[in-house]
Amino acid sequence: MADDEIPSDSSTLVIIVDTNPNQRYITEDPKILTGCLDAVIAFANSHLMQKSRNELAVIGCHFHKSEYLYPSPGKPLDVRQIDGQYELFTLVEKTVKMRLVNLIKSQPQEEKPGESLLAGALAMGLCFISKVRREASPALKISSRILIVTGSSDTAAQYINYMNVFFTAQKQQVLIDVCSLDKHLSLLQQGCDITGGLYLKVPTLEGLLQYLLWVFLPEGSERKQLVLPGRGRVDYRAACFCHRELLTIGYVCSVCLSVFCKFSPICTTCHTVFKIGGPLPIKPKKKKMKV
Amino acid sequence: MADDEQDLKEYRWETGYEKTWEAIKEDEDGLVEGLVAEFAQKAARKALTPRRGPVRLGMMRHLLVAIDCSEAMSSQDLKPTRFLCTLKLLEKFIEEFFDQNPLSQLGLITMKNKRAEKITELSGNIRKHIKVVQGLLNLALTGEPSLQNTLEMAHRVLKPLPGHASRELLVLFASLTTCDPGDVNTTIQNLKNEGIRCSVIGLAAEVRICKKLCQDTGGDYGVVLDDVHYRSLLLEHTSPPPRARALDAGLVKMGFPHTAPPSTQSDTEPPITICMCHIDEGEGVGGEGHLCPQCRSKYCSLPAQCRTCGLTLASAPHLARSYHHLFPVDPFEELKNDGQSQFCFACVRSFTDVDKQIYRCNRCVEYYCWECESMISSTLHVCPGCASRPHLYQRLPDTS
Repeated sequence: MADDEIPSDSSTLVIIVDTNPNQRYITEDPKILTGCLDAVIAFANSHLMQKSRNELAVIGCHFHKSEYLYPSPGKPLDVRQIDGQYELFTLVEKTVKMRLVNLIKSQPQEEKPGESLLAGALAMGLCFISKVRREASPALKISSRILIVTGSSDTAAQYINYMNVFFTAQKQQVLIDVCSLDKHLSLLQQGCDITGGLYLKVPTLEGLLQYLLWVFLPEGSERKQLVLPGRGRVDYRAACFCHRELLTIGYVCSVCLSVFCKFSPICTTCHTVFKIGGPLPIKPKKKKMKV
Repeated sequence: MADDEQDLKEYRWETGYEKTWEAIKEDEDGLVEGLVAEFAQKAARKALTPRRGPVRLGMMRHLLVAIDCSEAMSSQDLKPTRFLCTLKLLEKFIEEFFDQNPLSQLGLITMKNKRAEKITELSGNIRKHIKVVQGLLNLALTGEPSLQNTLEMAHRVLKPLPGHASRELLVLFASLTTCDPGDVNTTIQNLKNEGIRCSVIGLAAEVRICKKLCQDTGGDYGVVLDDVHYRSLLLEHTSPPPRARALDAGLVKMGFPHTAPPSTQSDTEPPITICMCHIDEGEGVGGEGHLCPQCRSKYCSLPAQCRTCGLTLASAPHLARSYHHLFPVDPFEELKNDGQSQFCFACVRSFTDVDKQIYRCNRCVEYYCWECESMISSTLHVCPGCASRPHLYQRLPDTS
């Protein structure tokens, strides 16, 4: 954590764009996704513009799978300079748009869109970051972060995957930033809190680019000098396995760490029988009576 | 280690010559680069031999680490000295231990001058342990260690713990001798009866009594070759051991502090409160904290044991951090690289000639490079392919 104060030589940014068609803002007005995507691309380019060594990856998270939108695996696209724009920026825009079209086209028609599986995309992002770190020269100071732009809600189904990803990120000092477009995301907010990233629920979609540039563009070491949205209060209560209710005092199985709201003699997760202390000490007294 | 040697029934110096140089072969261009990369990959994979199968783990660990502070520690065969090397690795070990076992407790013992001294009580406070370890740097290394006194001390500390807790002792032993007041065999028998698992890492050479101790109590015995080997031996002890059969299971009452906004009257300043973890040092006044749901005392960091009412305080992610031991990722299949895939699914690195082996997850049928594979199985514990497929992402507890 001491590295935080020294500005890094290069920073790696992984942007995860949720393209799930069942997000509310897309079902209301499908065209708005284009606007959001443009904002994300402009944001990605501004990241690349900051330092020549900066690295970028964009991952599209659709309901049936997640895929890298940039960089494209294999040979990069052939781009020429258009209107004097820096070629790399053109490459980013072209690649992201082309690969997103392919991703959306590949969605199975008969399946109903389920929830967005952001944990998988996060895991891919972490692998990418560790690859960048491996390939960079050891003298280079690299700061890394992952930004999630999503409008879906989070559910407890991915809880274990999320937690594994958050703790890996914490271990590797990767910040997880979350930009929520629609709902409050309590699980992802925990991830921000664990890794030290920022959580922001944007008030209006029109100003998305502005929020991205102001809040999420500065890297970790620069953020201390800025007035940014606070962490807020994060609810860390555990939910019991039996009724899914949030508890302040609960019982935890010593073998598998399942949480229960009431004492039960057998753990329902790992089928361990618990030893119950209590009536045993009465026995010796009876013996004494007989003597 | 101990088991390996038992199976072989002979020591390394009793075996025949190993012609290690014959394994190196040049390819048609006269280069060994590809082969070296393959060796490196194999070594890296061997370093993380995964433990599979349905094991019940002792999750709530109580580990005492006994550090030899005798004259033998000042030997310079580990650089700069055995003692400084140990302290450096121990710091890393403490961090890693609490990372892997968030609800566990650790205590430190020093062995010097035929005595065993407790330098930190069993607790889950990382900073305290690390501070003490750093404070040991200038300790004078004198006298002989006493194994028996250390074992007796560990026995005294670990005996009163509740039955569901796993009790362990790890001895970092540099001396080849021990100065004991009585018969150490009876002490070992006592430890065995209590179900205390003793492991020893020897810094010099194998010592029979240590080996017997580990065998009898079900621990691991290892002797270090060099500092890298020392590190890997030490870090092996960070993952929870299989649950001892004698261990009782129990439901543990636990509090999940809820930092609810107390500000019904938000204009007034919050009352000044003292954090209970810093109360001895006289710091930690004011600021936010986690309130014990039973007695409302404040703690600045979790997990902690409430000093007032004894309730274990944890947050939900701390519990979740241990779940990967219970639901591990299925091991990937190692395949020869025949161009099945052009790039690694997780990090989009293109496969080259150096990648002789690639790895496939048999659930989501994606291909991974060996670096991502080792990262997934050692730290991430999530298969990126499976986690982004709607019908595969949930890994339900498999109790069978």
